[in-house]
Amino acid sequence: MMAIRELKVCLLGDTGVGKSSIVCRFVQDHFDHNISPTIGASFMTKTVPCGNELHKFLIWDTAGQERFHSLAPMYYRGSAAAVIVYDITKQDSFYTLKKWVKELKEHGPENIVMAIAGNKCDLSDIREVPLKDAKEYAESIGAIVVETSAKNAINIEELFQGIRPVVLTVCQLPGNSLISTSAASQLMALPAHLSAAVRPPAQQI
Amino acid sequence: MADTLPSEFDVIVIGTGLPESIIAAACSRSGQRVLHVDSRSYYGGNWASFSFSGLLSWLKEYQENSDIVNDSPVWQYHILENEEAIALSRKDKTIQHVEVFCYASQDLHEDVEEAGALQKNHALVTSTNSTEAADSACLPTEDESLSTVSCEMLIEQTPSSDPESALEVNGAEVTGEKENHSDDKTCVPSTSAEEMSDNVPIAEDTTEQPKKNKITYSQIIKEGRRFNIDLVSKLLYSRGLLIDLLIKSNVSRYAEFKNITRILAFRDGRVEQVPCSRADVFNSKQLSMVEKRMLMKFLTFCMEYEKFPDEYKGYEEITFCEYLKTQKLTPNLQYIVLHSIAMTSQTASSTIDGLKATKNFLHCLGRYGNTPFLFPLYGQGELPQCFCRMCAVFGGIYCLRHSVQCLVVDKESRKCKAIIDQFGQRIISKHFLVEDSYFSENTCSRVQYRQISRAVLITDRSVLKTDSDQQISVLTVPAEEPGTFAVRVIELCSSTMTCMKGTYLVHLTCTSSKTAREDLEPVVQKLFIPYTEVEIENEQVEKPRILWALYFNMRDSSDISRSCYNDLPSNVYVCSGPDCGLGNDNAVKQAETIFQEICPSEDFCPPPPNPEDIVLDGDSLQPEANSETLKESTNLGNLEEPSE
Repeated sequence: MMAIRELKVCLLGDTGVGKSSIVCRFVQDHFDHNISPTIGASFMTKTVPCGNELHKFLIWDTAGQERFHSLAPMYYRGSAAAVIVYDITKQDSFYTLKKWVKELKEHGPENIVMAIAGNKCDLSDIREVPLKDAKEYAESIGAIVVETSAKNAINIEELFQGIRPVVLTVCQLPGNSLISTSAASQLMALPAHLSAAVRPPAQQI
Repeated sequence: MADTLPSEFDVIVIGTGLPESIIAAACSRSGQRVLHVDSRSYYGGNWASFSFSGLLSWLKEYQENSDIVNDSPVWQYHILENEEAIALSRKDKTIQHVEVFCYASQDLHEDVEEAGALQKNHALVTSTNSTEAADSACLPTEDESLSTVSCEMLIEQTPSSDPESALEVNGAEVTGEKENHSDDKTCVPSTSAEEMSDNVPIAEDTTEQPKKNKITYSQIIKEGRRFNIDLVSKLLYSRGLLIDLLIKSNVSRYAEFKNITRILAFRDGRVEQVPCSRADVFNSKQLSMVEKRMLMKFLTFCMEYEKFPDEYKGYEEITFCEYLKTQKLTPNLQYIVLHSIAMTSQTASSTIDGLKATKNFLHCLGRYGNTPFLFPLYGQGELPQCFCRMCAVFGGIYCLRHSVQCLVVDKESRKCKAIIDQFGQRIISKHFLVEDSYFSENTCSRVQYRQISRAVLITDRSVLKTDSDQQISVLTVPAEEPGTFAVRVIELCSSTMTCMKGTYLVHLTCTSSKTAREDLEPVVQKLFIPYTEVEIENEQVEKPRILWALYFNMRDSSDISRSCYNDLPSNVYVCSGPDCGLGNDNAVKQAETIFQEICPSEDFCPPPPNPEDIVLDGDSLQPEANSETLKESTNLGNLEEPSE
């Protein structure tokens, strides 16, 4: 049996920039125009083979708690990486990106890998944020940056693939255990365990 | 925050403590539209955990809090003729008698700050300045505001500073403090401040080279985010209601837990380990062969005591302590059973209560490890957050830093129909859940609160040294005088993610009879010594040394009958703050009772639907993600009863 490495990735960014759509595209290769804004999945998983290991992404969505700036510190616990999303057609969402980075620095684990995603790049004719600005900013904070389109499936796979090697390098630094391998959850794995991605559309419950 | 709140909900929950959060999750789970607000900037209310700088800001907030003057109520303009208002309090009066002591050496010339941390208020400010954000990216920056907060805390508390900002936080308690604060040593705040400045050896430090094993105050500040300091110190019983609820609702997947590694007892001035499993009993060096047999026999009986009524029938009228004397147990064993296993006091509990407690303890043993308790990684404060997340996942709306001015009551029906929030927005709902501390004095005038005495210590070593420095221990120190209460000590090591490496975080808790310091200092003095330079030379020191200490009293609003609150409409429910007990059963019971009143026929936090039953709107799911999640959930089932 192949070893499974779990990588918790949390998503950040303003309401409506397409966080859930990015996960949905990555995990289910699916895009829904009318995704309801408040219903975020608890988290979704996707397992990707890598050499003789399986890498299992546990992708946490904000569940709408970002809407009134009420994300809980618990949301960031144990994250190996954070994907911070802005909307390339909304300058404001790029400004607030910096606020999310700040919050991540405050509450997130040290050495968390940051990836910036400029979503909705299919709408580049109404673009407000030049890619150059994003690149400059990303460089200043040591983050990966890529423009994506969850709608047209552009760069979504690349975004997550881009995170992987960086996370693995960071994890090899001494004293760093951001990735929980299956064995590492020896702790008190009681309920502990991260599991099932449930995506309950509220109207069906 | 351009986004505005919807104006109608089914349930509005005010306060994000554990019971409120569980109810919010349960209601949201069963399809209610939930608005969950908290006037504070963090989750959990008095159930919260803080980083070191977070704790300092919390202390500061209480000082500022006392300055708030209730200005003219704007909400009155929003109340119609056929309505009445129940004003909510804007002051939190649940914390009193706060006293801080720093024994670790402080180098005040050095500008220190918590790495990566930002002051709470600053997080509110949307940064539009790119250089500012870039600055915060590189770790040790010179953020003036932060270093001010961290260092000034202690400076402010010296008697020479403004008396308004003295240690006594609650406005009501500060009587007489304004005049003669530096001379009048009889008043608690100035005395403690005096002591504190004595205990801080500033002068010696600046000249000394830091030693290898020396921990300084600036180190604590720098590593401040390693701390997750619980305001309320509790553990989870392995078979307690909270564990059951966490598993049942799948909320457990948001948190991780560690087993408490040992139970300790304090006898004849010494700390020793209590054997509690069968293996422990047989390996114990403190017990004689005869004692081992006696203890095993007694514990085996306790496991199923109901089956042998003859054994305890005649003793129902007496205390458990007296009952133990009638059993074939040596004084040593009686002590262990009474204080460390049943965890009750000499006078408080009856034979039946004691047997029940002992049985519960044994019943919880072995489920997840060698002791009956679990502790959540990153602190107790994670638990309310986990339930809030579940509420949000099912559509609940979250708003921190959002206060409610009043509840609006319809005069005719005597029902609450809306709230008016800080912006004057009227939000309609069917049910209203309010945490005790949000009520004004008018509403609580008849309520008699008890108090909890709390101390938080940062120490440099464990109370009982062993090969491993990663022990999590619980210790009960019995009450010495009548009228006082047993003190519960929980010592957390750095692997619980609640303190920095090389330190221990110690929580002391008891029911108050006096101020927290008066109640707990005697126990602190028995177990610990203050950290000073001199003792570093002296290798004889065995007791752990205190680097930093905090005392405070917290209101215990549990077990208060609803009828004690004045004029509450029937659709307004009251949640209490934390109780003094070790477990969390009280919060869960309370949550379930209130939930059943709101949603009478609904299941309480049922498991989320099976992933394969979930169909997204529009197109169907790809099967891959599904099979993946399913595999995992069976996994979780196995984890319920892990093999040892």
